[in-house]
Amino acid sequence: MESTRNQLIDLLARNSDRFISGQMLSEHLNITRSAIWKHMKELEKDGYVIEGVSKKGYRIIRFPDKVSENTIKWGLDTEWLGNTIIHKEQTTSTQHIAHQAAQNGAAHGTIIVADEQTQGKGRLQRPWHSAKNLGIWLSIIIRPSILPYLAPQLTLMTATVLADVLHNKGIEPKIKWPNDILINQSKVAGILTEMQAEQDQIQYIVIGIGMNVNHKQHDLPEDVNRKATSLTIETNKSWDINKLIQDILKQFEDTYADYIDNGFIDIKKNWENYGFRIGKPIYISTLKEKWAGKFLGIAEDGALLTTDKNGDTCKIYSADIDWLV
Amino acid sequence: MLKVQEIRELIKLIDESSINEFTYETNGTTVSMKKSLETKEVHQPVTVKQPVEVNTEETVKVESSNNVTEQDTAPTKEVENKPEEESKTYDYEITSPMVGTFYRAPNPESDPYVEVGSKVNNETIVCIVEAMKLFNEIEAETKGEITEVLVENGELVEYGQPLFRVKTK
Repeated sequence: MESTRNQLIDLLARNSDRFISGQMLSEHLNITRSAIWKHMKELEKDGYVIEGVSKKGYRIIRFPDKVSENTIKWGLDTEWLGNTIIHKEQTTSTQHIAHQAAQNGAAHGTIIVADEQTQGKGRLQRPWHSAKNLGIWLSIIIRPSILPYLAPQLTLMTATVLADVLHNKGIEPKIKWPNDILINQSKVAGILTEMQAEQDQIQYIVIGIGMNVNHKQHDLPEDVNRKATSLTIETNKSWDINKLIQDILKQFEDTYADYIDNGFIDIKKNWENYGFRIGKPIYISTLKEKWAGKFLGIAEDGALLTTDKNGDTCKIYSADIDWLV
Repeated sequence: MLKVQEIRELIKLIDESSINEFTYETNGTTVSMKKSLETKEVHQPVTVKQPVEVNTEETVKVESSNNVTEQDTAPTKEVENKPEEESKTYDYEITSPMVGTFYRAPNPESDPYVEVGSKVNNETIVCIVEAMKLFNEIEAETKGEITEVLVENGELVEYGQPLFRVKTK
């Protein structure tokens, strides 16, 4: 049913310059003409505009802007990522849905997308403002066979994925360690990764991505207004959210394959190309101490490299960093 | 210099052996041990001398209350049992699978996942360890009762570091 619909969209899209007869569609898809008509009605609900003219057939006039399982799938050029798509018009948080799905056995590569999150989650469950149809609210379930202590590298990897996607669209993003995406020093996207693991085995990881896309200045809440931005604010144009999601999924799949085959080395290099304030002074706070250091880059395992109180190089895995900007 | 565990290990080995006197010297540190097999109550003074630092002369006294005949049959029993006696309140430790910050609650406003006395089972989430914004929800992986919380909220933990002690059921 689902794949028939995708084939139907595919046929219509490839022939969008002419009418294609119901007879031909029914032969191609091996379904009755009334089944085709039912599919057409479903597609219209998803926001496709299809012209039907008697004796000529059907022609697709407009693809939806609306995000749905169909619109993400159509044109998605991945092998495993996004084979299962769970789309919600409104949900508490895609992370929440992802955890439930993963605990019920959702496959590696399952994604959860929402038009709107009512309780979008940031670090330590700080709220993440996720307005309707303006951004990408996406969670990816993966089940890598790497050791749990390596998993934090996947958050840096995901940051490079988002940075690469934006870079390929002519935007110059920066990554603030470990994984905030900035444009002109304002945050455009954040990543929250949650893992369920045993000592030596990962059960699943949920990588949550929040990206502000078509927000205008007044769409951002005032308290984050100064520090946050969107693609539209930075580029003065609106963006196709479906296409962006597809690009992110494709880039993720490619980068992930490289990570699994070759480890963190390529990711580290790429990360440092985007690294925010490398070589600059920073101020580090942990529970027990606070000190001023210099941001030297990242280590082979993704940790932040800085100087300690004696000027020696040290690794930071977790701390509050003041970037002094 | 030798660690206390290493000295303890040495005592154990010497205790089991037929050696009556033992001296170990390295980098200006001397450890000497002597068995006094004549007495029934055996006291074995172990002296660690470190001439460089004046105040670090420490004496590790290991009491071995067994008499000589018992020592022949089961020479190390008492020594081995000692740490176990101390650990009666727990028999399982939940350890950290990675380096990161230890959080006892999902967010600063929430109650901790578990307290001393909390009953846990395999899937109970006991804490979060965070590194590079990856939040690892740690499950108890055992069934029992939390007897001790070993790490403070917000503290940095190492790979393999014990986080909780559990008395299993």
